Amino acid sequence: MEPPELILPGRRGPRSGTPQRPRIGIVKFASCDGCQLTLLDLEDELLTIADRVDLVEFAEATSRRSAGPFDVLFVEGSISTAEQVQEIARLRAVSHRLVTIGACATAGGIQAIRNWFDPDEVRAAVYPEPTYVESLAQARPVADFVAVDGELRGCPISPGQLREFLVALVTGRRPQLPDEAVCLECKRRGVVCVAVAQGIPCLGPVTRTGCGAICPAYGRGCYGCFGPRESANTTSLARWLSDDRSAADVGRLFAGFTAWSVPFRATIDAYGGPPGQVLPARETDDA
Amino acid sequence: MPAAYFLPRNELDRLFGALVADGRRIVGPTIADGAVVYDELNSSAELPYGRTADTAPGSYRLRTTGDRRAFDYGVALTSWKRFTHPSLIPLTRAHRDADRIVVESVLEEPPKLAFVGVRACELAALGIQERAMRAGPAGDPDHAARRDAALIVAVECAMATSTCFCTSMASGPEVDHGADLVLSELDDGFVVRVESDAGVPVVASLGLRAAAPDEVERATAQVAAVREVIGDPVAANGLAARLRTALDHPRWSEVAERCLACANCTLVCPTCFCTSVGVASDLDGADASTERSWDSCFSLGFGRVAGDANFRPKVRDRYRQWLTHKFSTWWDQFGSSGCVGCGRCIAWCPVGIDVREELAAIAPVSAPTGPIPWPPSPPEGRAPAALATITPARHVIATVRSVVPETADSVTLRLATNDEAVLDARPGQFVMVELPAFATPPISISRIRPGGLDLTIRSAGPATAALTGLVAGAQVALRGPLGRGWPIDAAIGRDVVIVAGGIGLAPLRPVIEAILGERPRFGAIRLYLGARTPRDRLFVAEMNALAGRADVEVAEIVDRAGPEWLGQVGIVTQLFDQAGWDGSRATAFVCGPERMMQATAVTLAERGVNPTAIWLTLERNMACGVGTCGHCQLGPFFVCRDGPVFSVAELGTAFGREGL
Repeated sequence: MEPPELILPGRRGPRSGTPQRPRIGIVKFASCDGCQLTLLDLEDELLTIADRVDLVEFAEATSRRSAGPFDVLFVEGSISTAEQVQEIARLRAVSHRLVTIGACATAGGIQAIRNWFDPDEVRAAVYPEPTYVESLAQARPVADFVAVDGELRGCPISPGQLREFLVALVTGRRPQLPDEAVCLECKRRGVVCVAVAQGIPCLGPVTRTGCGAICPAYGRGCYGCFGPRESANTTSLARWLSDDRSAADVGRLFAGFTAWSVPFRATIDAYGGPPGQVLPARETDDA
Repeated sequence: MPAAYFLPRNELDRLFGALVADGRRIVGPTIADGAVVYDELNSSAELPYGRTADTAPGSYRLRTTGDRRAFDYGVALTSWKRFTHPSLIPLTRAHRDADRIVVESVLEEPPKLAFVGVRACELAALGIQERAMRAGPAGDPDHAARRDAALIVAVECAMATSTCFCTSMASGPEVDHGADLVLSELDDGFVVRVESDAGVPVVASLGLRAAAPDEVERATAQVAAVREVIGDPVAANGLAARLRTALDHPRWSEVAERCLACANCTLVCPTCFCTSVGVASDLDGADASTERSWDSCFSLGFGRVAGDANFRPKVRDRYRQWLTHKFSTWWDQFGSSGCVGCGRCIAWCPVGIDVREELAAIAPVSAPTGPIPWPPSPPEGRAPAALATITPARHVIATVRSVVPETADSVTLRLATNDEAVLDARPGQFVMVELPAFATPPISISRIRPGGLDLTIRSAGPATAALTGLVAGAQVALRGPLGRGWPIDAAIGRDVVIVAGGIGLAPLRPVIEAILGERPRFGAIRLYLGARTPRDRLFVAEMNALAGRADVEVAEIVDRAGPEWLGQVGIVTQLFDQAGWDGSRATAFVCGPERMMQATAVTLAERGVNPTAIWLTLERNMACGVGTCGHCQLGPFFVCRDGPVFSVAELGTAFGREGL
């Protein structure tokens, strides 16, 4: 799928006059807050950003609150409760552009691994008083519930990509967010391929770049936190990896932060499910 | 001067010292993270002594040999292009201040390097990439500067890895030309040959003794043994022709099931040169810069054009593009194979796809040879016109004099400049148009006049939206004029048929004006204009004026219209598929959406117009404009450099072929 048009009307280029500062909100659902905090990592330009955009909702940084409307709403976290299903629908209605940020919002996140298990047993295994926990049977990406205009991937998202997104937003150009494989970044950086030179399983060839190839640069295989790239040929990679390891080990490689993304999920299913006690799979649609 | 000298093993650092004394930094093989890589070396102690590499499809493993040899590892992971064609270089710096803009090229001073350990295959690769990057009309200045600043110390191979096939590609293992110095490593030292003037003082400063005959013999014997070991694994003779006839082979789909399209093969390839340009800016878009980085025909975005159309959406298309370019159309473009048989693409493929096997399956020696799908090279007399003045790094600032609204989503920018090269533009040429902080689209020239150019631009994305939003007084940066224009002279004394679809009329307007400027030299002139709706018609007043002339025939048609439209409704070919004129005397110029041009070419041919006289202008992802970034490749052509205007005959079956 081609990326949706993210440019705001009236923000097309340098000669469009001085448009209003876009009203920006940042909200979260089931997630750790790490992605929204990435905005605060843009330390050098934080004051300029705060001047060029009107940050009307960002609980991590300001007590100012807004119910909308938003020109752009950044959404972190997966949808895990019935309450969240209603809230994301409300937010969508008051947002001109809705952009999901991070592995939880874009793919369901690490918590989506529970989607393969019986929710009652998962609750009982985690909480001493599971009766107080009201969650859906599955943790799912925002795009399963409302239309999404754009996404920033990663666990957490890349400060560079967030900056690029914001700059593109205020200058009126298309954000440059590559959808190609991590491998290109390894080769550009001169990082030796851990898969070929050391036999370390690596999801780089099927994972979207944007992290700067951090894991391979430190001698680890990519574990896919940016989720599947365009044309992710997980079938071929999994087949190749299965020459040297059990089917369960192959499935486990894909069962990380973006396990619930469609190509990774299919591969996990084809190789015997996610790690842990394999319980009967549930129906996938309780929402 | 003896034919060869001898450098004792323990004196290798003296050679390094002589290279440093020559003002050079030394780049050579060393071990990093389980592989031999080329990196900057401080002393010969950092060489991979006593280590070798075992390679196989999808596998590379270092192994200790127990001997003291430094150069027995095959080839390093990264090729020397990392130093002649770096993975990331700054390209331009731009600044915008109210209406004024400045765009300037950034050309870094290349470091003075000595490449130590260059293999025969790699030497061939350096030459091949250099030819590609320097091929006209304008070479890449960064590549040329870096290559010229490097001194090459080659080392002849004393072993082969299982993925080597230089023998088949006639690129090794013997080093016969292109190096400054050539070393052959023996157990006790190196036989040193001086092969260039630059190498003479380096060796002279070492005071080496002449190599003994038995040392030279051992060196010769050991490289001869490598040739025997490798054998001749790829049937290269006739391979380019066999591949040309195999574009529909079912194996392309089979290999696409295994191929990850991860681009590793292209990025480790020592000859692949494709790049993309990224834009960065501050939050206001006032200070911007562009960078050029390695890219690959395996990435989906590589074939994308405005409006998110894509010419190579399938992995099958991308694998075919890579393999046929490397082994077939490279010959058409640069007069050699694009492969040197280094084997990197085999070893570093994460799923072990072996190019030797794919070639044997897709283009076996027994393959039938049929007619080639396109002529082997552009016909005589069609060399790029008026391009000698183009410097890829030169930006001309032009000022918007006025903005003429054309349709709901397109305007004409009337630009003023006194730059002679820009004003020398020919009908059918295009310019790259840059605004700081935006991508740089190619825009065809819609009028050439004293003191300036007109550009008619449709808003199809943010960059073109920014351009169509400009007002009088604003500035843009131009690179060009670029490409091969319409061959108007070929139509002299003949009838002229012009067929335009929508915005496709823009690059045709200079043809119309040039022909009407010399009206008596041409026969009948017929204009057939199509548009989506009456509101999408371009240059309406001008076309109406032409329609009023007795010596020009103008017919218009729209795809769909309301009751206000009294003209014809349908597709543009309906305007002439029943016409009475004799096409054998006509030259046709066609521009519009690619499918419209295909239909038009068919109808014109049915009307008797010779395919050599049907000219059309193609849209591809033109980025550099001078044939060095690879984006706009179509079979044996770079559309930016060899086109964008082509005859139907030149394109052959490359025209309209899906995924090419």
